[in-house]
Amino acid sequence: MPDQEKDKSNPPAPPAEPVAPAAKPPSADQEDSQNFFGEPLVGLDPSELSGTLIVLEGLDGSGRSTQIALLQEWLESEGFAVQTSGLRRSNLVGRDIDELLAKNAVTRLTLALMYATDFFDQLEHRIVPALRSGTVVLADRFIFTLIARSVVRGINRDYLTGLYAMALRPNLTFWLNVRPETAFAREFKKAQAISYWEAGRDMSLSHDLYWSFVRYQTMIKREFEVMAKKNSFIELDGESSVASVNKLLRQRIGEHLGIRSTKYSPSSALAHLWR
Amino acid sequence: MDIVETTPKPVRADASKTTLPQPGRPIPSRAYPGALIVVEGTDGSGKSTQLYLLKRWLEIGGYRLHFTEWNSSPLVKSATRRGKQKRLLTPTTFSLLHASDFADRCERQIMPLLQGDYLVLADRYIYTAFARDAARGCAQRWLRNLYRFAPIPDITFYFRAPLDVAVNRILSGRPKLKYYEAGMDLGLSYERPESFRLFQARILEEYDKMVDTDNFVVLDGTLPVNKLQKQMRDIVASKIDLKRFAPRSQEPE
Repeated sequence: MPDQEKDKSNPPAPPAEPVAPAAKPPSADQEDSQNFFGEPLVGLDPSELSGTLIVLEGLDGSGRSTQIALLQEWLESEGFAVQTSGLRRSNLVGRDIDELLAKNAVTRLTLALMYATDFFDQLEHRIVPALRSGTVVLADRFIFTLIARSVVRGINRDYLTGLYAMALRPNLTFWLNVRPETAFAREFKKAQAISYWEAGRDMSLSHDLYWSFVRYQTMIKREFEVMAKKNSFIELDGESSVASVNKLLRQRIGEHLGIRSTKYSPSSALAHLWR
Repeated sequence: MDIVETTPKPVRADASKTTLPQPGRPIPSRAYPGALIVVEGTDGSGKSTQLYLLKRWLEIGGYRLHFTEWNSSPLVKSATRRGKQKRLLTPTTFSLLHASDFADRCERQIMPLLQGDYLVLADRYIYTAFARDAARGCAQRWLRNLYRFAPIPDITFYFRAPLDVAVNRILSGRPKLKYYEAGMDLGLSYERPESFRLFQARILEEYDKMVDTDNFVVLDGTLPVNKLQKQMRDIVASKIDLKRFAPRSQEPE
């Protein structure tokens, strides 16, 4: 098919050009405050927050949720209260986003703003209350995934960092770095299928499902690379075994929380994850 | 502060229209041929009545137009309803839900129609969010960035009515004020009418701040309806080349 050939030579997407800003948006690069990327959240005094916010970022299939399940068990066994968060889990719009995605009737900016609504609802109703009570919050993805997904769809980067200016800065951000090819194999194994959105099929990158997935996830990975330095990501090799990634995570988190011994082996309930 | 403020605004400010943060779709500097007219003002300022009459005038004349209302996208409706009923909304999420609603209408109606050479009439626009959400405590800088993708109106009518006039119009016509409408989430007062009054006062203050910065055409909301409508039509006719939107060919009967 001639079409497929064309797909390969096409550049993935035009780079986001700067637009004439009506007002200078706050930038995630500059350290306006220790606690936020830019503006403070309305009505929040950051000195009240005694908990720890730990973020795990990475592509689909990078092992985030497996690691979070294990970390939660480990932290609870060490006596820490744990709260988790993730995309589309808000009471306010979580289900609405699921519906929009299923219907595939949504445009990119609207979707970006619905995800932002979902994010801030969880931040204000789940993450902040947990941090106030000294809980450890394990976040399965954070603003970085949301920014990356929108940037690769052509939404201006400054616009997005401005949008998430009131997000709390995590205490630790781990990046489980995997190759898109590995991610594909893991995702396929999970569901015996690849979904429309994780293959970035709305972006018309390729008619071929595999190539669409790999190109899309490569673009997301590049965005992570851009953000990694500015946001002090701790990069871990997501391709190594669950046990060895978990060990590195425990070491860094243990250091941060003052846990001396980071020995751990999963309970029988989670043993199946430990391969 | 009566009558019309005719701040001369370049009718086709080319550069000002390239505000979409969506370089994925080509939007040239002279972004679209259509024209955008919006009305703003506090609840009870008379803006919706006036925009309705303007719309009727243009409809009867056979002009190509589209009318859009604040907070009306079906896509976001259930979330907004749930958020309001269960009182889940904070100033930030209230603002973001309305921005999602606006983005949906902007991406699917307002922008395509402006590109397709339509006259678009909007009952409330981004300035409603700037006034209302700022009154709730959202940072101006954040709000301005949030709506950066919105096309800038050709005319923004601001219907200004004194606080007491506007508030009494609403309170006499609507026995029960809703929770967020009355600004009860701000904790200004336990009494809804009193909370509504205090909230509206804040919003009015925010609107007034934008008169110069956002080129509002200020109209006196206390004038008789027909007089006000005459002013509005005169301004529209003088600022917008209405011929462009007239029926393309008149079939002789």
